[in-house]
Amino acid sequence: MKTYKQPSSVGRFGEFGGMYVSETLMPLLLNLDKSYKKIQKDKKFKKELNDLFKNYVGRPSSLHYAKNLSQYINGPKVYFKRDELNHTGAHKINNCLGQILLAKKMGKTRIIAETGAGQHGVATATVCALFGLPCYIYMGSKDIERQKPNVFRMKLLGATIIPVESGSKSLKDAMNEALRDWIKNVRDTFYIIGSTAGPHPYPKMVRDFQSVIGKEAREQILKVEKKLPDFLIACVGGGSNAMGLFYPFLNDKKVKIIGVEAAGIGAKTEETAATMTSGTPGILHGSYSYVLQDNDGQIKEAHSISAGLDYPGVGPEHSYLKDIKRVKYFGITDKEALEAFQTCSRLEGIIPALEPSHALAYLIKAFKNKHKNKVVILNLCGRGDKDLFTAARAIGIDADE
Amino acid sequence: MQMNNLDTLPKKKILSLFMTCGFPTLNYSKKIFNEMLSHQPDIIEFGLPFSDPMADGPIIQEANKLALRSKLSTQHSLDLIKYLSKSKKNTSFVIMCYLNTVRKFGLNKFIKNIKSIVDGIIIVDLPFEEEGAIKKSLSKNNIHLIKLISPMTDKKRSQKLLKNSKGFIYYISATGITGSNKLDYKEINKNVKFIKKMSSVPVLVGFGIKSKKDVIDISKKTNADGVIIGSALIQKYFDLKMDFNKYLKSLKKFIKEVNV
Repeated sequence: MKTYKQPSSVGRFGEFGGMYVSETLMPLLLNLDKSYKKIQKDKKFKKELNDLFKNYVGRPSSLHYAKNLSQYINGPKVYFKRDELNHTGAHKINNCLGQILLAKKMGKTRIIAETGAGQHGVATATVCALFGLPCYIYMGSKDIERQKPNVFRMKLLGATIIPVESGSKSLKDAMNEALRDWIKNVRDTFYIIGSTAGPHPYPKMVRDFQSVIGKEAREQILKVEKKLPDFLIACVGGGSNAMGLFYPFLNDKKVKIIGVEAAGIGAKTEETAATMTSGTPGILHGSYSYVLQDNDGQIKEAHSISAGLDYPGVGPEHSYLKDIKRVKYFGITDKEALEAFQTCSRLEGIIPALEPSHALAYLIKAFKNKHKNKVVILNLCGRGDKDLFTAARAIGIDADE
Repeated sequence: MQMNNLDTLPKKKILSLFMTCGFPTLNYSKKIFNEMLSHQPDIIEFGLPFSDPMADGPIIQEANKLALRSKLSTQHSLDLIKYLSKSKKNTSFVIMCYLNTVRKFGLNKFIKNIKSIVDGIIIVDLPFEEEGAIKKSLSKNNIHLIKLISPMTDKKRSQKLLKNSKGFIYYISATGITGSNKLDYKEINKNVKFIKKMSSVPVLVGFGIKSKKDVIDISKKTNADGVIIGSALIQKYFDLKMDFNKYLKSLKKFIKEVNV
């Protein structure tokens, strides 16, 4: 069996990935790559990060046997990797802590980030508060409207929110603006990218920081089940929570891995965010990967009820894993995700975010009355508090402020 | 092999004018480029509109948006360039675009469309680490791949970048996106001098050049061989509240001014 060893030294996952940015950013990325390589060997850095994981985030996150949901599906034993229990309510904090420690080591004094659902924005604002660095968050005005609780949280944490009015006014455009900010302020600024997207070394770096999820899950499942899981399931927008869970299992060929994308109204409609189901390879935000684009290579607007998955691109490693068929990707519609959101809340007493609700919906749909005696780990990467108003509106309940 | 106009650029005071293709619509765009061409600048840069112009400031972004809103395709842009090339004399034609546009159109088909028409191409998001195959195909067809150098590019990297450079060097005068303001002549001069030590092709300064004064200052205070003006040409359209006739007149006046 060949061991999985991606990306290459220049950030290629097979043919995907790379660094497609202007010459103003190239020297910065190369420098970032160098600094990242250096701290990977730094024991003090590792210890600092592990301490923060343990005492600030509350890691390891638990592995919960979702007994009621398992009974309801009448299929496999389902375990939730509960990264929604982390400080700030999602997996995003894992990566932010890693990157801000790196920023500190590099002597950067100003932090910028993009956010869609606001989870990455909140996590970035949180670590900036902790380390006393000024924080600027780019957020599409459409997302500011639909993620009000997170906007308030970020402000409370001392971050400045910069509304983005260009394009579709969501995650993709926020990332464009953050990149432009970085080009303008190259000398003092560190850009904390929240997903496994963007130019090298981000996809690798974010995956590495998030892979604590999979490492823990692996140990935990071996302890309770005395064997590796048969399936892993996670939702994929840019793909950071999924890569975090999947990465430590990629060499275990018996573990089947499933990524669930947001299909919006339907993967075959124009209103979708299912990049790998409906897209083609192209270049967005500095990396070569699947994207939603027209015949001229113009990037299309994505659509999903979940702001965190509302992105027309996907991390290059996912594109690679799709093409080598190591991971299978499926689309779940807004409607299916909303149903799973409610089912999980009622059955397990856990209100999931709309993002992992997509993964839950796929599990319920595809595993019903199947795969008995098998074990599944699903990454519950975020909690649903931020989505209450969106969900209430979609379900037709008046939950107004 | 046919001549490449970029190989016979003048020694000093080179003027390069940038404009987005199809801005604000295809028909108006023809008029704009015809006006530009009538002044016989040394270089015209044709921007191909892209939905996510990461390295461009708000003005060129807006121009891209307007062009795309009028349903402009890559083929439309290339046809426009071909049409204009009929009245081209000594002016060099350069395309400035993002890589996804070329990729999706197909590199070979793209080259076929611009061969013997376009002298150079700037692919903003194609760093030299990734240029391999593309540069080869372009040079086979006598199209120069123009290099960008920024104040962040260090000496070692510049050396690699400048090796075998053709056409001209696009020096990004400010660490910023197109249309940014501050010009630091001291820094520009220092870096341009360094580039010129390593490369014999002309060095043009772009980003943040807005007026006749800027053009003269660059020529007086630095060692640069010329300037690139882009955002400032487009900005006037919005300043004049999108009155196209007024815009065309002001464009004429402005180009005369900077064509010193």
